[in-house]
Amino acid sequence: MENPTQKPTIILGVIGADCHSVGNKILEMFFTNEGFKVVNLGVMVSQSEFIDAAIETDAGAILVSSLYGHAEIDCQGFRERCVEKGLDSILLYLGGNLAVGKTPFDVVEKKFKAMGFDRVFPPDVDLKEVAVLLRKDLAERSQLQPAPCP
Amino acid sequence: MTSPNVISIDIGSTFTKGAVFALDAPHPSVLRRAACPTTTDDLRRGFSQVLAALCGLPTETPWQEIRPVAPVRFCSSAKGGLGIVAIGLVPDLTLQLARLAAMSAGGKIVKSFAYALTASDVAELERVRPDIVLFCGGTDGGNTAYVMQNAARLAASRFEGPIIYAGNRVAADRVADILRPRPVAVVPNLMPEINVVNLEPVREKIREIFLKVIVAGKGLSEIVQRFQTEARPTPLGVYELMEAIPRIRPDWDDVCAIDLGGATTDFYSNTESFLETDSVVLKGIREPRLKRTVEGDLGLRVSAPALLDSAADYLAAALKRVGLSEAALREYVARLMRDPGHVPDGPHEKTLDALMAEACVYLAARRHAGSFRETYTPQGRVYLQTGKDLRRVRRVIGSGGYLSTCEDSGLMARAFRQLKVAGPEIVLAPEHPVFYADAAGLFPLLGNLVAVSPEAAVTLALDSLKPLELQESPC
Repeated sequence: MENPTQKPTIILGVIGADCHSVGNKILEMFFTNEGFKVVNLGVMVSQSEFIDAAIETDAGAILVSSLYGHAEIDCQGFRERCVEKGLDSILLYLGGNLAVGKTPFDVVEKKFKAMGFDRVFPPDVDLKEVAVLLRKDLAERSQLQPAPCP
Repeated sequence: MTSPNVISIDIGSTFTKGAVFALDAPHPSVLRRAACPTTTDDLRRGFSQVLAALCGLPTETPWQEIRPVAPVRFCSSAKGGLGIVAIGLVPDLTLQLARLAAMSAGGKIVKSFAYALTASDVAELERVRPDIVLFCGGTDGGNTAYVMQNAARLAASRFEGPIIYAGNRVAADRVADILRPRPVAVVPNLMPEINVVNLEPVREKIREIFLKVIVAGKGLSEIVQRFQTEARPTPLGVYELMEAIPRIRPDWDDVCAIDLGGATTDFYSNTESFLETDSVVLKGIREPRLKRTVEGDLGLRVSAPALLDSAADYLAAALKRVGLSEAALREYVARLMRDPGHVPDGPHEKTLDALMAEACVYLAARRHAGSFRETYTPQGRVYLQTGKDLRRVRRVIGSGGYLSTCEDSGLMARAFRQLKVAGPEIVLAPEHPVFYADAAGLFPLLGNLVAVSPEAAVTLALDSLKPLELQESPC
């Protein structure tokens, strides 16, 4: 990662046809205060918008929110599309109300991890915990990365 | 204080035109006009003929001997305009902004490339020989890998013209090092952050390079020196005029202009690009309030063959409407290619010209305007907007050889009406436009005056416009 402030860049947004904007603003404030450079794409963000923004900003992670129960359809093929676009090792986080009804969270988590998300969070997760995991995951990924172009 | 009179000359690809303007407030006026065919081998001859005529001298007076009666300002679209290659990273982000910046600086995009340049991209770049390469990619602090790699490709290419770098600031020094000794100018990033647009430094640099490098050929630099003046690309003057119109006359806000020529169709708009409401979400970049697009495949003469392909569907429907065959149109275009100076002969050819003009207006507007896509969400119906919203535009000005001679609004109104039946997307075209013609053909000349006196330029421009009545006859 290479930016003037040396802050890790993360992309934030609510996927699909989902207009829930309050939580999105809270996440932006929280991660900014935690020392991340947050690129917030807002609500109703498509997979390709997340990916395009990540390419231009050289982001280390994409944090996807979904509140309205359609995450499974909206997130289908997200990892594959990242790989197609050259973002082979980008971190993908997902959180929110990820399924309708009373599906146990471990079933939900398993499903989205199988889709290629690195971490999956329920709506009541402690954000401090997410920030800790994110820093740790980013540090690990950056060691795996080949050295940047000279 | 400047002299109250100014001489303005426009060296076009076909004609060199000029006028002497009296700038006296509040009633500026046109004192004298002159025109002659552009002398493409040495632009000075046509220029001096027009200047001599404007100064009341015999037209054969050598340019070195002319003492102009007022300060001279001139613009040029000679050589078919300022050709720019745009290189960006993601097509919808930095590349799209590079294209907008180039066009709003009076340039014409001859080719654009996204992501990493390949060997064949570089070969293509060498083939099209642009006047300028506009090179960007990455937000500040964002991706550097692509611009570094592309810089190396450019450095190894045979292209030796000016390069403007407007990409990731973090990579700027290294990019400049790689590209040296090529002429490379580094300007601030045109997209420093996602959703932050900064086109002005790029536009300013393109203008500067135009003055220093591009005008050097065909005798233009001698004109610049002799008359202590500066040259600008003609479309940049019109762009500045379009900027000044609502600034000087707020009642003329929300305005468009279409300059339809033989080689290109230019579309200008000055209106807010996006109005935030609960039911509209903007996708992609927020386009600037003042915008110009240039369509190199839409034109009535040089570009007529390209128009047949680009507007095939529109032309087919229009031909059916007037009862003419596609073969007749192809034959007419072939004739224009053999003889570009051909003047339409008889009612059939006039109708064919009108249909082609209508197709140019339609497609230029279609590409300039944004669109809505309707989606249903659990929170209700929402429109996704991409591009620029022109719905509030109240006035549309037709300029250039063809549209300025329109007698009524039939042609432009028909093309704009067709925008409303364009398929699954809702085109954000002007809802209730009133049409005008630049009947005196003053727009390019007045573009030169904006820097001297925007008030006089705007007053002269608006006074010279002819409101077009709605009639259904072809113009």
